[in-house]
Amino acid sequence: MKVKKIITKSCIFVFILLIIIISVGPLLWVLLASFKTNREILNGGVGLPEVFSFKNYSDALKLAPILQFYINSILAGVGSTLANVFFLSMAAYVIARFQWKGKKFFRMIFSLGLLIPGAALLQPLYQTMTTLKLHDSLIGLSLVYIALGLPTTIYVMSSFFMTIPIELEESAYLDGAGFFRTFASIILPLTKPALGTAAVLEFLLAWNEFQFALTLTASNAKRTLPIALYYFKSQFASNYGAMFAATIMVVIPSIAVYILLQEQVVSGLSSGAVKG
Amino acid sequence: MHQREGVTDWMNIKKRWLVLFLLPATAVFILVYAIPVSMLTATSLTDWIVASTPHFNGIDNYIRLFHDPQFISAIKNTLLWMLLQSTLHISIGVIAALILARKKFYWKFVRTVYMFPNIISSAAIGMLFVMLFNPSFGFVNQFLAAIGIENAPNWFANSKTAFGAVTITWLPFAATVTILVMAEMTSIDGAILEAARVDGATEFQMDVYIVLPMMKNIIGTTAILGATSMLQKLDIILMTTNGGPGDLTLNMPLYVYKTAFTAKQFGLANASGVVMILMGLVAVGLINRIYGIGKKEC
Repeated sequence: MKVKKIITKSCIFVFILLIIIISVGPLLWVLLASFKTNREILNGGVGLPEVFSFKNYSDALKLAPILQFYINSILAGVGSTLANVFFLSMAAYVIARFQWKGKKFFRMIFSLGLLIPGAALLQPLYQTMTTLKLHDSLIGLSLVYIALGLPTTIYVMSSFFMTIPIELEESAYLDGAGFFRTFASIILPLTKPALGTAAVLEFLLAWNEFQFALTLTASNAKRTLPIALYYFKSQFASNYGAMFAATIMVVIPSIAVYILLQEQVVSGLSSGAVKG
Repeated sequence: MHQREGVTDWMNIKKRWLVLFLLPATAVFILVYAIPVSMLTATSLTDWIVASTPHFNGIDNYIRLFHDPQFISAIKNTLLWMLLQSTLHISIGVIAALILARKKFYWKFVRTVYMFPNIISSAAIGMLFVMLFNPSFGFVNQFLAAIGIENAPNWFANSKTAFGAVTITWLPFAATVTILVMAEMTSIDGAILEAARVDGATEFQMDVYIVLPMMKNIIGTTAILGATSMLQKLDIILMTTNGGPGDLTLNMPLYVYKTAFTAKQFGLANASGVVMILMGLVAVGLINRIYGIGKKEC
């Protein structure tokens, strides 16, 4: 019995250890190597660099317009997040709070996006955006990101709206507040936790998105961070250090947002579970 | 009386506002889903190539697709990855959830770091593995050399190892499964587990005979998420193998992408897009059936 327990415990120990190693190990290795010289990198090992130098970072910034890509990513990320949570909350509000004809239909079509793999739509969306002169534009890209996050935001927000007592609106209305004001200044502020969850998920989606950024933008002036690595992979091929530094620069913001807003991410992901 | 009038007014105003409140969401839905999906379906039945006028050609594209060995490889690889992701991948996530749910001192730390690979962009994950597996400076081969294994392969370029190397970039990273299952576990009535404990059940027995059966629905959901996520993996493949060597790691998204943007065969690409959507729908239906999701349980 005791032997059995020891075996179970060591299995658990090994499993957890492996999980930690595969999750943190590669990132740590890249982080350390990003401060090393090319010679040190080729010599290998996992030790600390001889001297901590930021030369790789400045090299990476010279090899690729990473700063421009950063700005584009921030614009597309923040823009689509603000628009996504505000405008989609409006739709979620009327879906969650009122009885009207066609409500079921709208609820259904707004969740359809979950069933459509984005890659299937690459060419049609490229065509649509080109026709609307929204190709190679951050606005066009942001519109796509708003829509990609549509099922999640509508779901997160409407579940939360349903928990707010209806008397609140009735009394606000009787006090003379109009429909929009009731929504914007009384109801919406109550949904801060849900807004936060939806916003974090939308921001990470926009920040990390690859395939539409690849096909819907065409110039360095409009490209976002995830495709920087793809386009400059060959430039970095001769300068390993810069390649490591560029990867770290792409990865850091996502990890920072996640660590700071971990509760929102976790609750956002698990709120999807209720649906299952 | 006054109040009743108020409420009726409220309902009337609503209709005007209703349209306004639904408008932005409906507009982006139409722009990004309705129009492209209609175009996809319609043009999949045409001979459209770049700069030409599309002509209706029935199901020719679909017939061509299933005679194209590359497309067959793409389907086979994608199906295999879907199978692995809806079985092995979620098993790893479920095991992690069962362990972390015991709330030992490390659980929060492990949950946090396990999420890292899921939270960063897959393009960066691809890059990370390109560097790890690099034959000259990659950690993997340096490590193997250090423990005496020389002549380790160039993992992404070798026909024997490429498929496995690509698989390892996503298979073990099941933190979302872990989080979903852990969230569902909080809904278990503690009294049931307490009763089992009093009856002398070990933690392992409780996990297998009580917890897991109650997790059936959520495990089914993660199986769906796992399977359908394999229809989204363009970024990692482009970063690592570009479908090669040969077409050993070609998947559906890359086939669609290359057919549309390299070969510029729009009709054909969109037919393969339709097939990809259908693969997703069939997977969802099949997994729903296997797990009996949505059925009433007694």
